[in-house]
Amino acid sequence: MRIAILLSAGRHAVSGRPAPVSVELQAIRLARELIRQMAGEVDGNAAGDITGFHAGPDAGPLKDALGHGLPRLIQLSIGAQDDPLPSLAAALGAERFDLVLAGRSGQGGEDAGLLPYALARTLGLPIVADACALAAGPQHGTVSLEQALPRGARRRLTLRLPALVTVHPAAPAPLPFAFAAMRRGMLETREGVPAPRAAGEVEERAYRARPKLIAKSAAGASATERLKAATEAASSGGRLIVDPAPEDAARAILAHLRQIGVLRD
Amino acid sequence: MIPPGPPATPAAFCLSLVILSLAGLALALAARRARLWCVGRGVRVEWVRGLLALPKRYLVDVHHVVGRDPFAARMHALAAGGLLGGSGLALLALIPTLGGARLYWAVIALAFAGALAGGVMVGRRRYPTKPARLSGGRFQILPFLLTAYAAGAMLVAFDAALGGALPALAWPALALAVIGGLGLALQVDRGPMRHAFAGATHLVIHPRPGRFEGERATDLVPLDLDAPRLGVATPSDFAVNRLVGFDACIQCGRCEIACPAFAAGQPLNPKRLIQDLAAAIQPNAANAAYKGSPYPNARAVAGIGGPDLPLIGAGAMIHPDTLWSCTTCRACVEECPMMIEHVDAIIDLRRYQTLELGALPAKASPPLMELRYADEPGGRALAARTDFAAGLTLPLISATGRAEVLLWLGEGAYELRYGRTLRALVTLLHTAGVDFAVLGPEERDCGDLARRLGDEATFQRLAAENIATLARYSFTRILTADPHALHALRNEYRAFGGAYEVIHHTALLDELVAGGRLTVGALHEARVTYHDPCYLGRYNGEIDAPRRLLDRLGLARLEMERAGKRSMCCGGGGGAPVSDIEGERRIPDIRMAQAAATGAGIVAVACPQCSAMLDGVTGERPEVNDIAELVLMAVEAGRAKAARKDVARKDASRPPEPVA
Repeated sequence: MRIAILLSAGRHAVSGRPAPVSVELQAIRLARELIRQMAGEVDGNAAGDITGFHAGPDAGPLKDALGHGLPRLIQLSIGAQDDPLPSLAAALGAERFDLVLAGRSGQGGEDAGLLPYALARTLGLPIVADACALAAGPQHGTVSLEQALPRGARRRLTLRLPALVTVHPAAPAPLPFAFAAMRRGMLETREGVPAPRAAGEVEERAYRARPKLIAKSAAGASATERLKAATEAASSGGRLIVDPAPEDAARAILAHLRQIGVLRD
Repeated sequence: MIPPGPPATPAAFCLSLVILSLAGLALALAARRARLWCVGRGVRVEWVRGLLALPKRYLVDVHHVVGRDPFAARMHALAAGGLLGGSGLALLALIPTLGGARLYWAVIALAFAGALAGGVMVGRRRYPTKPARLSGGRFQILPFLLTAYAAGAMLVAFDAALGGALPALAWPALALAVIGGLGLALQVDRGPMRHAFAGATHLVIHPRPGRFEGERATDLVPLDLDAPRLGVATPSDFAVNRLVGFDACIQCGRCEIACPAFAAGQPLNPKRLIQDLAAAIQPNAANAAYKGSPYPNARAVAGIGGPDLPLIGAGAMIHPDTLWSCTTCRACVEECPMMIEHVDAIIDLRRYQTLELGALPAKASPPLMELRYADEPGGRALAARTDFAAGLTLPLISATGRAEVLLWLGEGAYELRYGRTLRALVTLLHTAGVDFAVLGPEERDCGDLARRLGDEATFQRLAAENIATLARYSFTRILTADPHALHALRNEYRAFGGAYEVIHHTALLDELVAGGRLTVGALHEARVTYHDPCYLGRYNGEIDAPRRLLDRLGLARLEMERAGKRSMCCGGGGGAPVSDIEGERRIPDIRMAQAAATGAGIVAVACPQCSAMLDGVTGERPEVNDIAELVLMAVEAGRAKAARKDVARKDASRPPEPVA
C-alpha cells in the first residue's frame, strides 16, 4: 500500500506564523492507521509507505509534519507564484500511489479547496471528498471509508484504488508532535515544474473564521424557527433514491442540476 | 593459626570471624548489585568532594529530614549506629591486643545493646499493625533479623567481657547471631539492607550536590537536543548516579503520604515508581517483589523489564498514566530522607515519551502545538495578554527601552479571574510609584508547561527567544506574580544565558509596605490561611515574605497542617490539568478541605495556577484571594480611614453651628 499525502504551506490562524494544516496532519494519522491495520501487528512501514508531497518554494515549516508521523517528505521546488498542480501531477504520476490523501481545503477558511479536484482530473483518479475514517476494504485493492456529511451524518463507501481522497476535520486528531521523529524524518528536495500563473493581483488578507451560515429560510423568522433550522437537517429539496439503476440516477442528477441552474440547455 | 595472645573467649573469637565472613558476603552481594548500576550512562562525578562531604551530608542533611519523625530518627540512630559500630568493633577484636581486653568486649556489648534497642523499635513500629505507608514482605522480617543478630552478638560480647563466665549462654547466642546476621547479609542486594550501601553511595555521588550546600537546586537539567536518544526509555538511559538513587530507597513511604496524586487516587505512588525503576535494572526483571501500597487504581501492566527494555508502557514496568499523574510539586523529593530525585526521573521519562514517541495524553498535545506556532498554550494572540488591564495605564517597555521593574505577566493574564489579581497588582504599583513596564506583545510563554510535559525542544526555543527579547531592554529586576514563570526566569534560563534578578510580587509588595511606599490599613477580623505555591515555597524557598506581608495587613493568619516547604500542591503544576489523568478525587478539593479545616474565611494564594485550581472548588468554602488583592483592599481601607480622619478633623475645627 503506497500512500501520498499532499501538504500545503499553512499559517497559524492567530499568530500568522508558518504552521502545518491540521486537516493534513489528520490525513497522516489516517494513512498510518490504515497501513498499521492492513499489516496487522507488523511495523507500520513494512506493509507500505507514506510520502508527503509539497510543491512550493520553501519546505522548512513543513518539516514539522515529519514530527506528526510522516516518515518522508518530498518538496517540489517551484517559485512562490507558480501553480503547484503540474509539479504535483508530474511527481504523483511518475510513481504509482494507491491512495492520495489531501485536506478538504488548506486552511479551512475561504480556501477554494479546488486543487485535489484538479489533480484528480489530471491524474484520471476518482475523488471522494471529506473522509473521516479509513479502513481496509472488503476486497483486495479497495478501502472502506466514512464520509463526513453535514450535521454529523456519516456515509460509508467502498472505494476501488487507486483514488484520491480528501480528509475532513472530523477525522481523528493529529498524532502528537514528536521532535525526534521530525529529526529522523527524511526531507528530499526535487525540481518542480515551473508553471507561472496568469498574472493577476492576488490580495492577501488576514485569516478569519468562516461565519456560520444561517439557513436563508429561517433568517428573520422567530427564534424557534431559527433554532429548528439550525438543528434539524435542512431539506434542500433533493430526493433520496436508494440503490437506483444507473440510468435513473443519472437522469435524477441531471434534472437536479438543471433545476438549480448549473446545467442549461 | 591461633594468634599470639589469647582472645577473650573462643565464642567471641568465633563471633569476630563470623562477622568477617558476613561482611565478605555482604560486600560480594553489594558488588553484584553495584555491577548492575554500570548499565547506566557514565557521568562525571566528584568522588573526592562527595566522599569528604559524606559525613556532613549523612549526619546533617539526611538527619534533618529523618528527624521530622523523632521516633524514626532515634530508631535509625540506634539500629544503624549499634549495628555498624558493634560489628566494626567486633571485627577489630581480631587484633590480639584488643580482642584480649575484657573492657573492649564490654564496649562491644554496649554497642550491640543499642542495636538491639533499635531492632526492638523497628519491630514496635511494624507490629502488631503495620502502618500503610511502610512496605511488608522482606521488611516485615527485618526486626527479627536485627534483634536476633544484635541480641546474639551482645550476649557473646557480654560473656567475653565477663571473661567467659557464661559459656552455656555464649554458644547458643553465637548461633542466634549467625542466623540473624546471615539473614541481614542476604538482604543486602535486594532487601531492605540495600539502602545502607546504595544510600551511602547515593549521598557521595548525588546528582544535585548543591542541595547539601544550602542551594535549592531545583532547576531541571537541560537536555542536549542533538543527543542520539532524547530522554529515558530504558534503565540504561539513566545516568549511573540516578540508578544508585533508586536503590537507595528504603520504602519508608513518606513520599506517598506527601504525594497529591496519590491522595487523589490517581495511579501514582512515588515509592512504587522508584521501586519499579530500581527493579528494572536487572535482567529479566519483574515487579512482583514489591510489597508496599500499590498505585491507586493501578492500570494493568505486564510488569516485566530489564536494563535495555522499555520502562513505560502497558507491556513494560510502568503505565504511562502513572507518569502523567505527577504535578511536579516536589513534595516527594522534599520528604525523602534518602534525597532521591523523583521529579527528575519523571521528567526524564516524560522527555522520551514526548520527544521521541509523541506519546502524550491526548489533551496535552494541543497546548504544546499552540505553543509551537503561537508561543502561547491557548493559541491566543500575544497582544491580547494585556487586555486584562483595559482602563489601567500599563506602560510598554518598548516605548522607552528601560524601566526599573519589568513586570512579567505570564499565562494568568489571559484568565478573567487572575486578570483581577493583576489589575490589583498594577494599581498597587502605580500607587507606590514604582517605575515599571511590561513587554506587551513581545512577551512569549516562559515555557514552563512545555518543559514539565517533556517538550524540551519547545522550552529551549521559547527560552532563547525570551532571552533575546529581554536582552534588548534595560531593567534592574523582573517582577512576576506567577511562581512558575519566576522559577523558569530565575533558575532555568540561566543555563541558556539569561541571568536575571527575579522577584515575586509578594516579596516586592512586602518591600513596598515595609518601606512605607504603600500605606495599608488593617483588614479587621479576617481570618486568612496562606497556601504556599510549590514553585515559590518548595522550589525557591520563599515562604516568609508572603506571611510577613499578610501579617502587616492586620489579618489573623492561621496555618494549615501542611504549610511552607511541606505544603500540599493545588494540582495545577506539571501540566497535570491538561494531562487530566482520572482519579477518585480532585487535588484542589483535598487542599481546600485542609484550608477550610483551619476555620479561615479566606485562602490567600500567590500563583495563577493555585488561584484557578482552588477557585474551581465547588460548594461551601473559604474565599480565594490573591495576596495582591488583599493588599489592595488594605490600601483602600487605609485610605478610607485617613479620609474619615480628615473629615473628622475638619468637623472639629469648624465652629459649632447654631442650634435652631
